[in-house]
Order: sequence, then C-alpha cells, then structure tokens
Amino acid sequence: MAATVLSVRGVSRSYGSVQAVRDLSFEALSGEIIGLLGPNGAGKTTTIRVLSTILPPTRGSFEVAGVPNTKPADIRERIGVLPESAGYPLHQTGEEFLRYHARLFGHPARSAREVATSLLSEVGLAERASSIISTYSRGMRQRLGVARALVNTPRLIFLDEPTLGLDPAGQRQMLALIREIARDRGATVILSTHFLDDVEEVCSRVIILNRGEVIAEGSVADIKRRVAPSTARVQIPPEMHDRGLSALRGAAGVANVGSIDAQRGWLSATFDSAWLDEHPEIGMNTVLRALTDAAVLILSFELEGGRLSDAFLALTEEGPR
Amino acid sequence: MTSLSRSDAGLRSPPAAPSDGWMVVAAQELRDVWLSARGPIIVLFFSLLLSLLTYMAAANKELNILDQRDTANLVLQITLGMGVSVSLLFSADAVSGERERETLESLLLTPVPRRQIALGKLLAAVSVWPVLLLVAVPYVWALRPGAGLFADAVVAGFVVGCLLTVAFASLGLIVSIFSSLNRLSLAASFFVFVALLAPTQLPLSGWFGDLIVRVNPVTAGSSFLHEVIVKQRGWDQEFTLLIAPILAAVITTGLAFLIAGRLRLQGGIER
Repeated sequence: MAATVLSVRGVSRSYGSVQAVRDLSFEALSGEIIGLLGPNGAGKTTTIRVLSTILPPTRGSFEVAGVPNTKPADIRERIGVLPESAGYPLHQTGEEFLRYHARLFGHPARSAREVATSLLSEVGLAERASSIISTYSRGMRQRLGVARALVNTPRLIFLDEPTLGLDPAGQRQMLALIREIARDRGATVILSTHFLDDVEEVCSRVIILNRGEVIAEGSVADIKRRVAPSTARVQIPPEMHDRGLSALRGAAGVANVGSIDAQRGWLSATFDSAWLDEHPEIGMNTVLRALTDAAVLILSFELEGGRLSDAFLALTEEGPR
Repeated sequence: MTSLSRSDAGLRSPPAAPSDGWMVVAAQELRDVWLSARGPIIVLFFSLLLSLLTYMAAANKELNILDQRDTANLVLQITLGMGVSVSLLFSADAVSGERERETLESLLLTPVPRRQIALGKLLAAVSVWPVLLLVAVPYVWALRPGAGLFADAVVAGFVVGCLLTVAFASLGLIVSIFSSLNRLSLAASFFVFVALLAPTQLPLSGWFGDLIVRVNPVTAGSSFLHEVIVKQRGWDQEFTLLIAPILAAVITTGLAFLIAGRLRLQGGIER
C-alpha cells in the first residue's frame, strides 16, 4: 500500500480580511499525480505556498512525509517546487544555477556538480548546460525549474503552471517529464494548472478549488461523472436530416430532439435525466441504435458535458449561463 | 530526456540542511558581484577617479591647492563615501531586487535559514569596501603624506570604513527586506545616506555643531579621519568620534539580524 506523503488538515490562509484558502483537507499518496484546479483567484498558488512553507497557515496543520508544518526547514528538505512565477538569474549557466541550489540543499561541491550534470541530462538540457540562462527558451527554463525542484530528491513536488506559455511540443515534453518523476522516483506530484487536457493526461486524482474552498475531489472519472452528460450531438448527411430527426424522436429515453444546423446535418438529442439514472448501462447508446435502425449514416457523435472541462465549468459556475 | 531514477549517482539523497548555508550564499553573491560586470566596472571607475585626483595633487603644483595630508585625507574620504554608498546600494538590492526578479522564492524554498541567506548577501555587499580600500592604498602611498602617517591613515580609514560600511549595508538590507519595490528600497536607503552625509559639507560649529558631528556616524567617522590624518592627532585623543560609527554598526547589524529571521516572499508589513 502506498504511503501517505502529504496530509493536510483544515488548512486556511487569510490575507487580512480576505480568506484565500478555507479549511483545506486532503491526503496524497506516494507516486500520485494530483491535479489542483480552479479558476483564477481560487487559491491554488496560495495553497502551494502554504504547503511549501513559504506562507504559514492561518489555521490548520499539515505534514509532509511525517514532518509537521511546525518544522518548515525540515519540510523544505523533503519537497521540490516549481513556482508559478519562477525567475532565473539570467547571467548564470544552467549548470551553475543547479550546482548552487544543490549546495544550498547540503550537497558538497563535488556532489553538487554531479547532481547538476545528472539532472540537466534528465530534463534534456545537457547540451545547453554551459549556456547562460538568458539564452534559454521558455520551455527550457521550465525544464530547468523542474530540475531545480529535484536537486534534493524530494518526496513531494509542487508544480505551479508548468506548461504555461509552452508550445505543444514543450507541453508534451513537460507532461512526459512529470509522469517520469512520479513513476521512476515514486514522488508525489501536485500539479496546479489551467490546462484541463494536461490534467486528464497525467493526473490520477483531481482537487478543484473555488473561492478558496475544495468543491470537488476524486479521480478524473469521478469528477466527470458528477456532471453527467445529458445531451448528444450527432452529425448525419444533410439529405438524411428529416429521417434522422424522426428516428431520434422514437429513441428510448430521449426527451427532446432538435436541429442544430440542418445544412451541415447536426442534430441534438436531450435525454430525460431520470431515465439515464435508471438505465446507466444503456446510456445514450439508444441514439446510435435508433439512427442505425433507421439506416441513417452517422458522421460524428459527441456528448455534451462528458469532458473534464465541462465538469470543471459546471462546478466552478463559470460555464455559459 | 533520459529516464529518471533515484539510484542514479547524482540523485542520492542530500545530507541535511547545510550548516554553512551563509557561506554558500556569500560565495555565489561574491561571484555575482566580482565575476560579472558590476564589481569590476566600479573598481575601474574608482581607479580613474583616484588617478586623476592624485595626479593633480602630486604632479601639478599649480592646480593643487591642498597639501599632501589633506589630499590623502580626501582620497580616503572619497574611498569611504564610494565604498559605503556602493555597499549600501548592493544590500538595498539584495532582497527587494530578488523579489522583483522573481528569484527570491526559490531561495526561500531551500532549507537554509533566512538569517543565513541575509548574512551571505550582507557579506557580498560589504566586500566592496575592502576592495576599494585596496585600490586606494597605492594612491595614498604615492601622495607620501608623511613619515608614519601612511600606516595611520590606512588603518584609520580601514576601521572607520568597516564600521560605516557594515552599518549602512545592514540598513540597506533592512529596508530591502521590507520593501516590495526595488527602486523604493534603493532610493530610501540612498536618501538616508545622503541625509547623513550632507552635514560633512556644512560649517558646523558651537556645541550644537559638535553634537551633530558626534551623533551622526558619517560626520563622526569623517571627522575622525580628518583629525588623525590632517591634524595628526592620536587615536586615544579622538576615540569618542568612533562611538557613533560603532553604535550604528552594532545597532543596524543587530536589527538586520532580528528582522532577517522574518524574511518573507512579499515585502511590506505582515498582515
């Protein structure tokens, strides 16, 4: 059974009268990648700053690998952090930067050099080790930041918006790196991001914050199920539009049928939610069956509300109203 | 990218938090000051300034209106002013500058205690003073202020400079710890220095003037140098002039030490 690496109990953090994080409680196991989601101002960065001992909690407590938050220096030995707005000394080389941080974590000079070389190779920056950081691209700087977060072989790693500003190739490299960190090191990763596709791709669990409070927690599949899809969108050949409409009207569980774009053959079928609850094993397959029975060719089929982003928007009340 | 593994040679668990974190910080900061353009440019500029001054004093009798002792005193006063102000600006930038460049957070995420981080930065900032004094020594020697006076002048300059540099670098650090804006930190620190430096250019007399000279660490230090170098008075006769610089160094360093324990990511007063 995986060990508990992070245990958070009722943590709150206020700035004056503004409560940025309220009564946060959760646990993280070793090797887990947990997505920390929330709209702007939800408290994600404050949560990371509190749990990484940069800010003290106003209330509550937490432990990292059994070390209580009353020993912040001991916690810092066990965590790695890529801050949201990580700056870099632009005149230093990547190797110097990592060597310096390895020394700050207690590595002797020779060991610090080995750590720096090894980590630069692992994040794909070996060839640029002796280039000054000002010549690095955004993606390279982010990877250097991840390498910095690993100099102390942490048990718990916080990554705040690691893919922000990266091109698709850079995003893919970063996500692969995050997976490797969790898989090969057994480290727990708390990934704060706005990119829900990233979360769906790498996270085993999700915590959604809104206005400083946890509003949902569970696996990605759990969260998706909370906002069950109730509408199907189907594209059929435009000349089959009318036949498709009448076929959908006869489908089991369908409460309402509409034409979205007759010229392009888009139809919608909204289900009766009570019927969906009673027939979870059939779900919206009745739409497909009705159309194939009526010999209507299906060009495309989508569920509205079936993605993590739909669940996120519904839960944080940011979706279109 | 290669596969990540805990067992890789370079990834073994590090020892506990370094007890010499301040030395690691200081070494890096010293490299930043002296191996980048900042330190060498300051030394170059200072050397040119002293070269011009000593050339005028030693070679061009028509242009020289000061005697050799006065010129030696002037060289040391300029060295003092330059050393203190540059150290002050370096320390005023130490924390608020890192805040602005967004590099402070990664430093605070290390297990090195806040006070050791501050100490490392302070040491790098005050390193300017001995380097500038070293640059000034040949110029003082070239002026030949008089038998035995060369050593007295250099030692007096060294002592006063150390006290004032430590005092003002600590002051700059305190301001920098509280300041959210680097420009504010630099301006406020420099303003305090200039305000305390201004009376050295004023004709202070009477008991009030004497009080100002003795209470203000800059005027007290400056007067001490003048008395020792120009008037050739003994240290024991003018020791009271060192009280203000000593107190300033002790108080600001003590305060900086206390405040550095509360060094935070954001500036301002904690709410």
